[in-house]
Amino acid sequence: MKRFFAILTVILMLAGLLPAAPATAAEPVKIGFVYIMSGPFATYGQFAKKGAELAIDEINKAGGILGRPVEACFEDSTGKPDVAMRAIRKLVYQEKVDCLIGLDSSGVAKSVVPSIAQLKTPLIITHAATPDVTGTVCNRYTFRISLNLAQNVKTAALLAARTDARTWTTVGPDYAFGHQSWEYFQKYLAEIEPGAKFLPKDQIAFPPFKTTDFSAYITKIMQTKPDGVLISLWGGNLIDFVRQGAEMGFFNGDYEVLVTLGAATEVLSALGDKMPEGLWVGSRYWFLANDSALNRDFVKNYHGRFGEYPSYNAHGAYGALLTYKAAVEKAKTVDKDAVVTALEGLTVELPVGTITIRPEDHQAVTDACWGKTAADPAYPIRILKPMQIFRGVDITPPASDTGCTMK
Amino acid sequence: METFIANLLNGLSWGMLLFLISVGLTTVFGVLGVLNFAHGSFFMLGAYLCMQIMHVVPSFWIGILVGPMLVALLGVIVERLLLRRVYGRDITFQLLLTFAILLVLDDAVRLVWGPGYHVVEAPALLAGTVPLFFHSYPVYRLFLVAAGPVIGGALWSFFHFTRWGRVVRAAAADREMAAGVGIRVPALFTAVFALGTWLAAIGGALAAPHQSLAPSMGERIIIESFIVVVVGGMGSFPGAFAGALLLGLLESFGTVFAGRAQMALPFILLALVLLVRPRGFFGREG
Repeated sequence: MKRFFAILTVILMLAGLLPAAPATAAEPVKIGFVYIMSGPFATYGQFAKKGAELAIDEINKAGGILGRPVEACFEDSTGKPDVAMRAIRKLVYQEKVDCLIGLDSSGVAKSVVPSIAQLKTPLIITHAATPDVTGTVCNRYTFRISLNLAQNVKTAALLAARTDARTWTTVGPDYAFGHQSWEYFQKYLAEIEPGAKFLPKDQIAFPPFKTTDFSAYITKIMQTKPDGVLISLWGGNLIDFVRQGAEMGFFNGDYEVLVTLGAATEVLSALGDKMPEGLWVGSRYWFLANDSALNRDFVKNYHGRFGEYPSYNAHGAYGALLTYKAAVEKAKTVDKDAVVTALEGLTVELPVGTITIRPEDHQAVTDACWGKTAADPAYPIRILKPMQIFRGVDITPPASDTGCTMK
Repeated sequence: METFIANLLNGLSWGMLLFLISVGLTTVFGVLGVLNFAHGSFFMLGAYLCMQIMHVVPSFWIGILVGPMLVALLGVIVERLLLRRVYGRDITFQLLLTFAILLVLDDAVRLVWGPGYHVVEAPALLAGTVPLFFHSYPVYRLFLVAAGPVIGGALWSFFHFTRWGRVVRAAAADREMAAGVGIRVPALFTAVFALGTWLAAIGGALAAPHQSLAPSMGERIIIESFIVVVVGGMGSFPGAFAGALLLGLLESFGTVFAGRAQMALPFILLALVLLVRPRGFFGREG
């Protein structure tokens, strides 16, 4: 009899090693994340991963999505379109993910988005800002919950119109993002303030992306004597520009300065007290902008776990998971097409505020926060004081302007 | 005039930094015959170690003194354990090996210091600006403009006026003959490689107060250094100096006169040199 029980125990233990039968245990909902995890911009992937892990732990602790646990697969896009496309195919065909979240680079986003329609898997973009992915190349499966370039620059134009500056110039990275930021800024500011002047093309500086020495560009801008400068540099470029500009007296108050991505925590924490005060800076998410319970908890939990304040990319990944969860719960299934239909027109509360995904172009209408850089002894980095919150409806161009014809 | 001076100084300060990095690259090539892909990673390590030392002892001068020395020590280890095995072999072995070292070092930096951006502060003595015509100009840049020729001059004197310098040049000219007259070539190679990595690292430490630190920061600079070395002449000391200054000035004045085409200027220069004078300005025939 003893022997019988021993054998029975062994059999039961072995059975435990076998894959759980689908009927009994809940199969996980699989989410594939594609961010830049290596190279000079790996910091963005790292932030997204932290945000995603926090969201997944919270969702799983609260019972998962439709009672099923969430499981993450992270892939490195390396910031290159072909690598990102391979990563996406692998996630969809091998890992069989239910949803894709990610994309940092606009260049990557623009080239992979047209293929998403063939993969028939929802993609929620959380960082790449090119207007085209919810514009000329938009499709049924592609969504974006983060602020896009047009929304961000529209906010900059609204702010610019409030200043006394008449003549504007720009400095931005020499690729589509820098040039489009300037193009949209001119368009929006001219609409609001017909008297605004813009320096001609040959007097404008677009430093190549690999630039580490911005002195020649800084000298050039100072020579052209504008009233206001729109800066669309970001990341390491922005850090170098700000430090070198500060040395050369660029931020001494001779111009109004609008920095479209200046409120990014990775930039603020690297610069510390080297970030000049009194610059207008924007971001896709600012951790002190929204005083909702959801945001307070997000900031508190994120800070408690990682020892830093959440960057916009951490918020993007976190927010995308909340958005996906809301869509699945609305659709009551993880069926990809049903989720896509549920995402269209979905209104969901995120730490950044309540967003609504427009069915026409799949761009989220979301609030934007800008502010002036200021020192505060309570924070190790410059914070925004005063803050200006712009309502999503006021800064999102009409869907008819985006060039999107949904297929 | 004012713009001209500002651009001249901008170009010179960048050129000097390029010179320090290129001269290490070209010396290692001239003596060891190795084209070191990992040179940019030693540049990066110089910057990161300078920053790390400044966290312990808040002095830029100690950082710039100790950091590059530690990197040179790493250079000794790399040469002894790895590089030494590929001297006699096909050049592809060297390229693969040094590229592998680059990948390992880049990832090591990411593991130790994380993927984010860091900044290093200039020492108080060199912070701030001096008046220059109507504008002010950062002191640190003037320091860079001065530091290049000082280190370069010291190096040149070393190669030309000291016994050890002559030994290095002798070994570069004819390895077998040098060994034949009793020079311990392997030890010499280790020393030269350490010197090369030290130069890269001191370039990194000098660049640290001026540009942000991030993993892979060495990959950008290595491309420009290669252009400098090819334009100036592979293995040529004055070539590295002339090439680096030319490239620095081309980039700074290019932003004024060439606009967007500025990006292409270094490559156009490279192509022209390869077409018209493939051995570079100061390169030896053969």
